[in-house]
This record gives sequence, C-alpha cells and structure tokens, in this order.
Amino acid sequence: MSVFDGLKYRRVYSPIHNLDPRIKFIYVCAIFAATIIYWELPPLITLFLIQVPFVVLAGVQREWIRSMRGAAFLATIIFVTNFIFSYISAGYTVTASNLEYAIAMTLRFIVLVESFSVFFLTTSPDHLGLALEQTRIPYEFCFAFTTAVRFVPVLAEEAQTIIDAQKARGLELERGNFLKRIRNYIPILIPLIVSAIRRSLELAEAMESRAWGATEKRTNLYVLKMHRGDLLLIAITILILAVAIYVRLFLEIPPLSSLLRGSFF
Amino acid sequence: MSIIETKNLTYTYPGGIETSLRDLSVKIQKGKFVLITGPSGCGKTTLCRCFNGLIPHFYQGELVGETTVVGLKVAEHPIYELAKQVGLVFQNPENQLFALSVEKDVAFGLENLGVPREEMRKRVDWALNLTGIYDLKERAPHELSGGQQQRVAIASVLAMQPEVIILDEPTSFLDPLGAKKIFEVIYDLNTKLGITVVLVEHRLDLTARYANHIIIMDNGEIILDGEPRKILNSEKTRLIGVGIPKPTRLYQILRKDGVRLSNTIPLCSDEMATMLREALKS
Repeated sequence: MSVFDGLKYRRVYSPIHNLDPRIKFIYVCAIFAATIIYWELPPLITLFLIQVPFVVLAGVQREWIRSMRGAAFLATIIFVTNFIFSYISAGYTVTASNLEYAIAMTLRFIVLVESFSVFFLTTSPDHLGLALEQTRIPYEFCFAFTTAVRFVPVLAEEAQTIIDAQKARGLELERGNFLKRIRNYIPILIPLIVSAIRRSLELAEAMESRAWGATEKRTNLYVLKMHRGDLLLIAITILILAVAIYVRLFLEIPPLSSLLRGSFF
Repeated sequence: MSIIETKNLTYTYPGGIETSLRDLSVKIQKGKFVLITGPSGCGKTTLCRCFNGLIPHFYQGELVGETTVVGLKVAEHPIYELAKQVGLVFQNPENQLFALSVEKDVAFGLENLGVPREEMRKRVDWALNLTGIYDLKERAPHELSGGQQQRVAIASVLAMQPEVIILDEPTSFLDPLGAKKIFEVIYDLNTKLGITVVLVEHRLDLTARYANHIIIMDNGEIILDGEPRKILNSEKTRLIGVGIPKPTRLYQILRKDGVRLSNTIPLCSDEMATMLREALKS
C-alpha cells in the first residue's frame, strides 16, 4: 500500500506543518485547477517544480519520494494508454508530439499526487478535524472523521491478533486459487466486525458519560488562527492561479521539443 | 449525608433472562473511598451504570426502584447533566479515548459542555498535572501504555470536576505496577480533593488499605456492606470467593492456630509486619 504510505502523517514541526489546513487545502485545489487546464509539458513541469520547495521546507522528502514511487505504477499505466491511443490516432507513427502528449498526461497525474501528498504529509488529522469543525461542518461528522483516524491503528492491531489466533487454529490464508483465498479471510472478518461493533457500543457509553450532546454551542480547546505564513500562502496561491489562467488564455505554449531545439540551435 | 442512594433497585437488561440487580438498596457517604467487589457477573458494572444514568437512559430494560446521586434523581435527569456530577471510568482504557491527542481527550467533556476556552485550558492542565501525565499531553492515545491511557481517562473525567468518580475495574487491562500507580492517583483524589470514589475492583491486596467502606455483591444482591476490616475478616466474604488480602488471610490463620495477635485486622503487608513484630517482642 505504498501510495498510502506516502499520505501517512508523521509528527514533525516545520513552517509548512504550522500553516492553516484550510489555506493549504485551497492551495491544493488551486494546483489541481491549474493542472487540469494544461495538457502541454512546459507548464506542467513548472507546476511540478513549484511544489518541491514546499516538500523541502516541510522536511518530508523521504515520505514524499515514497509516495511518488507508489504512484509510479499508475503513472506507467496512464503513460502507456495515452501513448497507445495517440499512436493509433496519429496513424501508427511515433512522433515527438504524441510522445510529449503522453508524458504530459502522466505528469499531470504526478502533479496531482504530489500536491495531495504534500497536504496529507504536513497536516495532522487532528488539525484536519479542527479545520472541518471550523468550516461549520456539523460536529458529528468531524467527530466521526477524527475517531475513525484514531481507531485505525487499534483495528489494525486487532486484525493482526485475530489473524494470529486463527492461524494458530490451523487457518491457512495463502492457499488455493484467487476465490478461495478471498474466502479464507471470512474467519478473520467476522470476529473483526463483531468486535468493532462491540467496541462502538463501549465508545458510545463513554461518550454519553462525558456529556456528549449537552449543548448546541460546543466549544473547542484549540482555535485556528491565521498567521503571516498563511497570508503568504494565499498570495502564492492566487499568483499561481492567476498566472496559470493568464498563460492559458493569452499565450501560445510551444511544445517542449521546439523549446529544446530553440536552445540548441 | 449520603451522596449516592439507591432504593430497592431491580433491573433486567433488555432481552436478559436473569435479573441483574435484585432489590438492591445502598447508601454511599460523601467523601468516602468505597470499594465494591464480588465475583464476575454479580452486577457490579450494572450498578455503576445506574449511578451515572446509563441505566435507564442508554440501556432500556426493566427498572424498578430509585437512584439519587448528588441530590439528583437519576431517572429524571439526562446523562449529560449527571456527567457533571458523576464521572465514570471504564474497564478498557482504549475504548474511552476518542481524540488524537491526550490534551484534546481531556478537554472532550468540557467541549461538550460548552466551557469557555480559557477556563477549559486551566482545567485541562490541572487535571493533567494531578494525574501526572502533563508531559504526554501532545501524544496520540495509541502511543501510550495501558496505564498511561487509563490515567488519561481518569484525567478526562476529573477535568469535569465531578463530586463522585466511579471506576469500573480500571486496572484489569494493566500490569501490577501500572495498577498500583492508578490506585495511588485515585487515593490522592479522594484524600486531597475530597472527591467521593467508588471503585469496583478484584485486586483487594492493592486496594483494601485505601477503602473506608466495602460492599460485597453476589448474584445481583449486596451480601455485606460496611467497615473494611470487619467485612474482610468475615467467613462469608471468603466463601463467596472474594480475593481477601493475603495479610488478612494470614492473620486469620495465625489466630486460628492460637498465635496471639492484637484485635485490629491487618489489610496490608505493612500492618501485618508491625503486628508480627509486636507479637514476637512480647
């Protein structure tokens, strides 16, 4: 699950981590929008490079590279399909432009993965829950979100315990054909689900005992405040978006191959 | 003045075949350290649920009788109102922490009550300090040991500043050392802050010394109720299968064999040691 590895949050402190998650989300959306209005290589390369400073500043290079590596498989599929289609539509010839098109489509995907991975790598789930709360999403949903994140490691551990217990009783997971293998997991899923339901009842009890639903006007221990860095990020976001739209509308984008040729000759 | 009082409580869980509590009446005095014990399935947990309103508000089922806690009739007040007066700590520490950081978890009850932020900050820090987990405040619950998690659970109940704290077998998931620490924290709350403590526990070896009121239950009924030394020394307690503290048991055996010991029944090894020393001297 290497793609998700690259989205796993690790607690560190950096200027990027301290940014308001709402602003970071807007930034990701802006990159997203800027990415899908281009199908040429040069602007996509620019968008890819713009984000590298964020990664370095946040100090999450290793995780980021891992997420990129995780995305490699899907990226290859995208490249191959695009290449085949443009190859067919160009009349069964390989040209520089259809190769470039396929690369651009792949890069577009990579830029998207990159921006989301920067977001998730630098935003703690707690912060994210807080951001959800302060955007006036009903508290029940925010609570469900943070609780789900909270119980991921707990359930993973429990699943492992159940697997061990069932194996000790002679269950063989890696045996038989594909369908049989899926069926092998039933003795693991059932206890897992049952215990999750039990757990949820206990949770509900504990929530009730801690005055859940006492008042409509819930308060919060933390509050998100905008700092100078957040304003800077807003400025950067607007700038990227504005330039992207301007270039799209008013400028002709030469293909990379001709740019390279221009510099060579 | 009794802070918890039940009158002729009888309760059956929905779909339950057997009655969980039978005509149970009990009075708990303010400021006491009450120990409830008895064999598994004797209704201890059910009784705890009656004290903070989970029965009848969360669990339906058949309830006869009346419970009054801190002057509030449990049946007439919603759980969140009772939660301000009665804190309940559960057996499994993992399932009572919801947030992604310790601090946020301790604040959870206060957030629900709508306590202003400055006040909340103060109370959270106070509770974290009292339970000795201030340094862990930014950690995620799954990074903590069971004992630490249980202390977080106690802190989060404590932050709501209740009159009574009920702990339902808080140490059954912990090792002896972790358990000992929990009991010390609870004892501190009782002696320093005057909070009434109701502790459901099997480990009498570690807890009997703190208690000043013991209730022994069996089969949904109260069998014995009163002063710890008297109750732990009685033959009935031993026959029910309650784990009598070893010093107390030793005392009983020595007395039976004719060793002359003083009349105060020891509850912990220190007391037993002094007693034996005196006996050896004379």
